[in-house]
Amino acid sequence: MSYILLMLFPAVMGASCFILRKQTRLVIIAAVLTMLVQIGLLIPLPTGEPARMLGLTLSLDPLSRLFLLAFLSVAALSFIASWRLPHGENFVPVTMLILSFTGTTLLLLQEPFMVALLLISAGLLAVLAIVDLPTGSPLLVGRATIATALKYMVLMVIAGVMMYLAFVLLDVAQPGQTLDRVSPAHLTLGLVAVGFGLRLATVPFHSWLPDLAEDAAPMVSVIVVTVLNVTSLLFLTNTLQFHPELVFENARGFAILRGFGIATALLGAILALSQTNMRRVLGYLIVYDAGMMLFGIASLSPMGLAGALFQAFNQIIVVMLLFLCVGLLERPDGRPSNVQRRDLLRRWPVAGTGLLAGGLALLGLPPFNGFASKLLLYEAAAQQGSVSLALLLLSTGLALLALMRVARDRLLGPSDDQPIAETPLLVGATDLDRPAERRLEPEPRGMAIMVSVLLALCLGIGLYPQPLLATINEVIRGLTFVRSF
Amino acid sequence: MSFGAISWPTIGIALSAGAILLLRDWRLTVSALFLNYIFIVFFLTQQQFIQPDVTLLGLPISMTVLVKLITGIAATAILAITALTFSREYNLEDLDEFSLSELRRAARRAQRQRAGDLLNLGDYVVPFWVLVLAALASLVLPRLYPIGRSYTVDFAWYWLGLTGLFTLITASDLLKIGLGLLLCASSIDLLYTALASRVQLFPVALLSLVTIVLALVVAYLSGLLYGRLKTLDLGELYQGR
Repeated sequence: MSYILLMLFPAVMGASCFILRKQTRLVIIAAVLTMLVQIGLLIPLPTGEPARMLGLTLSLDPLSRLFLLAFLSVAALSFIASWRLPHGENFVPVTMLILSFTGTTLLLLQEPFMVALLLISAGLLAVLAIVDLPTGSPLLVGRATIATALKYMVLMVIAGVMMYLAFVLLDVAQPGQTLDRVSPAHLTLGLVAVGFGLRLATVPFHSWLPDLAEDAAPMVSVIVVTVLNVTSLLFLTNTLQFHPELVFENARGFAILRGFGIATALLGAILALSQTNMRRVLGYLIVYDAGMMLFGIASLSPMGLAGALFQAFNQIIVVMLLFLCVGLLERPDGRPSNVQRRDLLRRWPVAGTGLLAGGLALLGLPPFNGFASKLLLYEAAAQQGSVSLALLLLSTGLALLALMRVARDRLLGPSDDQPIAETPLLVGATDLDRPAERRLEPEPRGMAIMVSVLLALCLGIGLYPQPLLATINEVIRGLTFVRSF
Repeated sequence: MSFGAISWPTIGIALSAGAILLLRDWRLTVSALFLNYIFIVFFLTQQQFIQPDVTLLGLPISMTVLVKLITGIAATAILAITALTFSREYNLEDLDEFSLSELRRAARRAQRQRAGDLLNLGDYVVPFWVLVLAALASLVLPRLYPIGRSYTVDFAWYWLGLTGLFTLITASDLLKIGLGLLLCASSIDLLYTALASRVQLFPVALLSLVTIVLALVVAYLSGLLYGRLKTLDLGELYQGR
């Protein structure tokens, strides 16, 4: 019963929210309450007790529960954030449907055909959120936004097709069998790599992510990157667990995948360095992070896998923090909109600090949460050889430079609000002839509190990562493909 | 496995998918998509691995085949209705003056483009050679990498997948991209139905649902693009990017 509620309750509430979508605040309250109910349902659910329903196996493992809790929390925060940040009319209902699909995906991880299709469906729903406009918006949907949505749709469907094809091949292939010249395991790993590469935005399939970060509403980017991409990462781990032949017959294939991981991290960092748009920089930094996680999984070592999964968890919090801060920093602040602002940290201190700290956390600098996970990834890289380690460290160094450049250009510049000298009234002029005083609003208090909470969470996990790491390590001890390699 | 085993539904699948890749007019391509789904249904009814399990209007038919027939009709109907009633009109009273003038400019540009849009055989050269390439690959791949139960099954899914992929690559408008994606979906659908060790109802039903949702999203995006630019041309969409 709890499983059914986990899968269907957000969908039903999403449909209700769609009907009421014009009443933005009511819909947000209903959505937050739905997420809280879901969290309340999920916490007491026992793990490792599979159930059969309509011929399908439903099961919840500790890792899925941990991540599902994180997804629901992030969704609740993004709904609250959309109270003040601009968002599409259908953002809440579409996100609830995506969460319904994600919950179902995490319960059905043992049914790869279903999961591949659920991921395509969730991707198609995200397309609707990308092109969505706020209620009664006086603007047209931008060409760039439509182009981004189209690109995302095409790539996600192709990713799904590749995954589905791979699972059909895995379903029919016998271990050790060869199709004339190509081993099915090689072919399948290739399809799996392309499918998951498209979803996780690894090189050379990364181009959709910076476009999404630039053109979609910040909270839509949060949902796509944290919920959909991380679910795909969990599915990849599960695929390797349930199809160990992919690992046994593909030692060289995984070496190539590690190479792609390093290339993604390196190229993501270099491209982040060459951007001037703050959102695109963030997009490329997330690509860099995806490369690090891909390397961790492809290393097939307990340390690499723990690092990748821990980093995926950290990414959920950090990406929420980063895009929330970007949304706040982009709010109109009473100054002309055609001037690029360079003093955002002075103007919006909490959001500016959040962006800087979130960036450092994403790169894995102490004392933030990314540090422990990145350290594990570096250790896994060191096991593979000093070249891998050096390249990963180099990519982190370049990513740090990109972040520093953003900080210099947009956050730490001199204040634009220079005091204007009092000019005496000329003969014949009145007080009404003086230029109107600018009214600079303070940061919205609720949003500032949310940024502070996320920052505290980043610091808290950074300083005390043991409980999370213990859960992840326990799950990894049960993964046969890691031990056997 | 021989060429002699190729049946008339296979030829129908080949011709209709080829027409989608080659032609540009939506009236022809959407009709070809409908025919493609019908031929896939006939193709499946001829396969030994599909057994009739329900009776409809006195005809024994497999539930799997029936699901695919309904899916095909639904997906084609969604695209056809969208194409017939293009435009997701904005609430013009909500738009500001800049947006209204942008819409007027887009309408003028699209009108000029349509006026100069004459039949140009040059537009068909690349799709034609791509079609030849897809045909060669689909004939050769089932021999090099046989995956399905028979040559015809392999030919059919390779052909659908390749024409879908090449339609995506050569597409010049959004609706055609959607048709390419639907062909790719048909390809894996056929492969799963023909190959999986145990065809389960849920994956088949979900795949059908995904096909319909994909058609809906393509229709929505097409309507949105047409409402914004008064054309589905991708060149116009990517102008200035």
